[in-house]
Amino acid sequence: MHIPDSFIPLSQAAVYWLIALVFIALALRWLRNEMSEEKVPLLAVLAAGVFALQAFNLPVTMGTSGHLVGGALVAILLGSPYAAVFILTLVLIVQGVLFGDGGITTMGANIVNMGVIGGFVGYYGYRALHGLTRNMYASAGVAAWLACLVPALCASVELWVAGTFPLVEGMIGMGVYHALIGVVEAGITVAVIALIANARPDILERAANLPAGAPA
Amino acid sequence: MIERLFEIERLADGDSPVHRLDARVKIMVCFGAVVALVALPRGDALFPVALAFGILLALFLAISRIRLLAFAARVLAILPFGLSILVFQVLFPASPVHDPTVVVHLLPGLAVTAEALEVAVQLGVRFLLCLGFVILLSSTTRVQDLLTGARRLGLPSEFTLILGMMTRYLFVFGQMFVRISNALATRCFDPLDRALPYGYRLRETGYTLGTMFIRSYEQGERTYQAMLCRGYGKDAYLLVPRKPLLAAEWVVLGGCMAVVVGAPISALLLA
Repeated sequence: MHIPDSFIPLSQAAVYWLIALVFIALALRWLRNEMSEEKVPLLAVLAAGVFALQAFNLPVTMGTSGHLVGGALVAILLGSPYAAVFILTLVLIVQGVLFGDGGITTMGANIVNMGVIGGFVGYYGYRALHGLTRNMYASAGVAAWLACLVPALCASVELWVAGTFPLVEGMIGMGVYHALIGVVEAGITVAVIALIANARPDILERAANLPAGAPA
Repeated sequence: MIERLFEIERLADGDSPVHRLDARVKIMVCFGAVVALVALPRGDALFPVALAFGILLALFLAISRIRLLAFAARVLAILPFGLSILVFQVLFPASPVHDPTVVVHLLPGLAVTAEALEVAVQLGVRFLLCLGFVILLSSTTRVQDLLTGARRLGLPSEFTLILGMMTRYLFVFGQMFVRISNALATRCFDPLDRALPYGYRLRETGYTLGTMFIRSYEQGERTYQAMLCRGYGKDAYLLVPRKPLLAAEWVVLGGCMAVVVGAPISALLLA
């Protein structure tokens, strides 16, 4: 889902960069108000860990493999969509500049898709479903699946606006592929949360007690 | 992906005039080239520009004495997603034309047209060159130098500090990833092994990732406390001493920027 350079024209890429910067600024404000700015090292180190999590091969059906994105996971475990924005921005910068995965000009679009949309869909999807069903694991699974599918659909719309992708066929192609990957993302997210609920329940309790959304 | 980090750092740790060149020059040339390639409107002007940029890239590559095979392996590892979009675009053109010139008929209603191929070539050439420049940058510049270079170019201090902490632990977790993968392999566990039940594979992989998450969270807590002990606070910053560019570096920067800015403008004027 990492859109490479040249697939989005410069003017549109600049718009996505602007949106991304707004959310990065909001994430920094969240850090300062909710997490106390001193805790920045914790999130920076965790970002490196999330990057390592993305390296694991995951089994997708039909013998293909996929990778975790982790936006929903981070947002649920740390109790804020801004945690996902912050951590995935760091991960995407490293991927874009060191590995060449995702572009320089398109990095804004990638941050918007995977960090902002993934994080917000994952977090608020989880909160809404959890409020309805009271089942932590089911709601985390569905939220993680949505947080994989929705950013992929957004990416195909962005590529259509950019004129590099047909709308309907593109959405079907990207949608079906990421709906499949999303199942694995959901399964892994649930397993990770189950493990953490057993091993470090305090992490989840902290997240549950944090107020939702942006600091006023 | 993280396991390739060590190979990148090995490449970047080499010694050549390109490696020794100040990171600021390399960052500006690389980002400048990427922006110029993306900004260039679609059309025939692309090809002379691509040629000029390709020569610049090849020149840097030759001087850096990076093995072509290692460079190509890095480029190949990134290609799949971009290529699949290009192939998709050829089969299902984003902007269908009224009377397309069909090159190959595949199925009824599915054909490769010259117009779609042209768009794919326009995108593909830029994509490859951009990728080449970015990979050249990280293959010839150590992570730490990239960071100080970015700081000297004006990246806010908060970001440099955060990115610096993150990249330091990337190597720690990269090694942890390799250790965990080896441990899984010695126990003959392969998450892609279809002989095992799917749910079992998913659960075991999930627990592995969960362990990894807890380990990095706890490393984060330890790092945070250790930094507090050393006087870290919200006003902490990364000290990057000022360093003027050498005369030779100004010359290289000027020359490269002349190509990066000059080639697209002259190609557009001539076309």
